[in-house]
Amino acid sequence: MDLLNYLGIGFSVALQPENLLYCFVGVFIGTLIGVLPGIGPVGAMSLLLPSTFKATPEAAIIMLAGIYYGAMYGGSTTSILVNIPGEAASVVTCLDGYQMARQGRAGPALGISAIGSFIAGSISILGLTLLAPPLARFALEFGPPEYFTLMVLGLTILIYLAHGSMAKALITAAFGIVLGLIGLDTITARPRFTFGRMELLDGVGLVPIVMGIFGVSEVLLNIEQVVRRDILKTTIKGLLPTARDWKDSKGPIARGSLIGFFLGVLPGGGAVISSFLSYALEKKLSKNPERFGKGAVEGVAGPEAANNAATGGAFIPLMTLGIPPNVVMAMLLGAFMIHGVTPGPLMMKQNPQLFWGVIVSMYIGNFMLLILNLPLIGIWVQILKVPYKILFPLILLFCLIGVYSVNNSVFDIYAMLIFGIVGYLMKKFDYEGAPLVLAFVLGPMMENNLRKSLIMSQGDFSIFFTRPLAAVSLVIALILLISPFIPWFRKKREEIPKEEAA
Amino acid sequence: MRSRDIISSLFWAAMGIGICCGGYELGLGNLHNPGGGFIFFWVGVIMIGLSFGILARAVRQKAIAGEMKAVWTGISFKKIVSVLAVLFIYAYLLTPLGFIPATILLLIFLFKAVEPQRWSWAILGAVASTLAAYSVFQLWLQCQLPPGLLGS
Repeated sequence: MDLLNYLGIGFSVALQPENLLYCFVGVFIGTLIGVLPGIGPVGAMSLLLPSTFKATPEAAIIMLAGIYYGAMYGGSTTSILVNIPGEAASVVTCLDGYQMARQGRAGPALGISAIGSFIAGSISILGLTLLAPPLARFALEFGPPEYFTLMVLGLTILIYLAHGSMAKALITAAFGIVLGLIGLDTITARPRFTFGRMELLDGVGLVPIVMGIFGVSEVLLNIEQVVRRDILKTTIKGLLPTARDWKDSKGPIARGSLIGFFLGVLPGGGAVISSFLSYALEKKLSKNPERFGKGAVEGVAGPEAANNAATGGAFIPLMTLGIPPNVVMAMLLGAFMIHGVTPGPLMMKQNPQLFWGVIVSMYIGNFMLLILNLPLIGIWVQILKVPYKILFPLILLFCLIGVYSVNNSVFDIYAMLIFGIVGYLMKKFDYEGAPLVLAFVLGPMMENNLRKSLIMSQGDFSIFFTRPLAAVSLVIALILLISPFIPWFRKKREEIPKEEAA
Repeated sequence: MRSRDIISSLFWAAMGIGICCGGYELGLGNLHNPGGGFIFFWVGVIMIGLSFGILARAVRQKAIAGEMKAVWTGISFKKIVSVLAVLFIYAYLLTPLGFIPATILLLIFLFKAVEPQRWSWAILGAVASTLAAYSVFQLWLQCQLPPGLLGS
């Protein structure tokens, strides 16, 4: 009954005209950036964050969330029509989606992708609706040791799932923690690593870092070499899948939804990993695995369902614990903070309008996306034709305006450009940006909870081992950290990038 | 990967040493009451340890002839450096010149820099994009873009 009341509150918020407009703008921009290469949901969210300053917290978060799940829909369009994924989570859709398009079945590929995404998105929002309240109630009993160890675990899982070397991911995370702690010490108010710059007293901004590492560096990588995008010259007809397509797809969509939702809760690119896992599972379960890679509809339906379901799952740790599981959620955490809301176990009680408004808006946003991605698919195909030489100056312009508008500070532009160079070099030297950004966000919270825990225990580290949840989290984190030294674990971990490369 | 890992690990080791020293200067405190430099110091130590791990692994690997060259082959440094330089100049001139003139100049350069387009198109595109961005961000969303020369 409580749940129905809360959903009622959610609908009353989400159906307000202003919030409907923001939801539409969010999913529209999400689809747009999903279609366009060179800017992802993180870049787009940081770009549009300043535009939400005048909006209510509900409208702001509804729009930013819409960008995230909207991007998952849009990403598949380029995978199917151009064989270039708009988003990392749509990489695997290229394999069979593009082949379907080459065989003249672009319509059913786009159709099953949109419908599968809609079904999976709805299932994951339902999961979020049902799981978030009990988890938030449970989280009320957490103290600083539990929060500290959960953050350590979250960061460790992200590092474990990072591509390539774990040591490299760890080192970028360590650097992220240092960056996050620059500024005034929260306990002694003493400046730390500010080098006498007034602008650094409040710390380095999240937006310049994110825009630099995910926006400017992407542009630099794209302009260093000319990438040709050949759009398949095919007429898109018959978007509705055939009865055979439905029969083949219903299992993959159901399994993809579950995989995506549960992996989405885990830190570290849930959408990407779940799409690969779903593909691998469908290939393994198929009676004709040789069809995969040659235009099997299951190879589109499963991964697309998985990456969309993962977006719903990713909201759970943020909304119930206040811990972002990935970079997009870290960005959303920043948006919550700017609007004076602290996500976590108390949010559901203190801000039910916001909590349930955002969840319900995701149901509505999914309907909007279905319309945007089926009858209006032609618009996105036209946008795909905009050449990059016109696109990249505009992306840079939006990055510059976006980063300047947060604090009206030219210093932030310099910071963004420096992090753009850092991000570019990191990619050249095989380092990932995601651990850095997540550690940057979690760093201050980790330090705060560590210091509080040590003050609580009078300097006794056993506090992290005598409290059950803290102990379990630390033990799992420890196992993951030492896993590269255990052959079985190392082999399993190395299989992930191999599957992705394949 | 060998050369890249050696270079990057040395960079991280130097960074870790710097962070350790900075953390130590800030004060480590004690376990009952950790000081402001406590986390910095220990994170710096971890960075040094990890960088030596990466270095040791890289040194053990066989050298790949021309590895560094391969990473940078086919890359137009001129484009990247010129785009970055112009962005830094833009940041420097944004306040004195103002958003509209500085952005028009920036966009003309960017439209011409990577894959040169006709002057007429570059100028028209730059003016139209700047005015559109100004209308959206300054007039509609009321961001405070610097007025510069055009300001009152």
